[in-house]
Amino acid sequence: MVLTWAVMGKTTQRDPLPDGRMRHSRRKALRVGALLTLGAAVPSLTGCDPFNEEPPPPDPLAPMVGEALALAAAYRDAATTHPALAGRLTPITEAHAAHAAELARITKVALPSATPTASTPADPEATLTGLREHERTAGESATRACLAAPAERAALLASIAAARASHLEALQ
Amino acid sequence: MNTPAPGASSAHAAALTAEYAAIWAYGPIGVRLTGPAQEAARDAEATHRRRRDDLVLHLTDTGDSLPADQAGYALPFPVTDEQSALRLAVDVEERTAGFWQAAVAATSGAERERALAALVDCAVRATRWRATAGITPLTTPFPGRTA
Repeated sequence: MVLTWAVMGKTTQRDPLPDGRMRHSRRKALRVGALLTLGAAVPSLTGCDPFNEEPPPPDPLAPMVGEALALAAAYRDAATTHPALAGRLTPITEAHAAHAAELARITKVALPSATPTASTPADPEATLTGLREHERTAGESATRACLAAPAERAALLASIAAARASHLEALQ
Repeated sequence: MNTPAPGASSAHAAALTAEYAAIWAYGPIGVRLTGPAQEAARDAEATHRRRRDDLVLHLTDTGDSLPADQAGYALPFPVTDEQSALRLAVDVEERTAGFWQAAVAATSGAERERALAALVDCAVRATRWRATAGITPLTTPFPGRTA
């Protein structure tokens, strides 16, 4: 593109168009272009101001850390309330905690020290129904994230989506 | 003709070899099972065949060379009874999951969606086989990830 402009700049400054109208000089067009470029550069220059620094945009996967921790908390609380279910629920709790740790590692989000709270219904069947619903929603969120992610994150997100689907199966 | 992302064709070719091996393995698995478990093995085998056919079509369409199926595959342990058949079914699904997880990273768009669906299917079937075999835990934290 630049080369084309340089070559064309050697032609006369004003050439008549076939219909007889005059074309704007190319030099003028270049000047206008340069001004426009400068104008566009201004916001980014202000962006470099150390006193006015904009925070970097949040990582799109950052909310998934909290989502995984909330799942782990829900299963942990359910296992405490219904010890009969603990055998089934504890490995799933650990899986969600492991997912949170991996997601925190790749997003460079610090894992919060406080664990989210969860409330478990007194009825075991209602508890399982609630966990299944939670797991289904989280599985959809991992699927969406996987399909939108760059290659280096897609494998982890795919594994998390598959884990959530298998948890749902384990709760049947 | 599609233009696959770099690495997509080798990931698909690798997934195809895994599907060939899975289809083969469900032969010795199926003969050791009865009732609903045998039905589940038949269903799993049909799913692996469907995925094999899709991959063959896809790799042909993209002009990639097809890996050859083999006359037989070495089993990780002998299948002598119902329990070992169920353990092999878990193993087959978990191994195949690994190939599809690799395909997820190597693809995008509809191809990634298909690879993810295959990974999810393998993980869910592995959990079902674990439940049938009485293996705990029923799930693994990172399906597809090789330890």
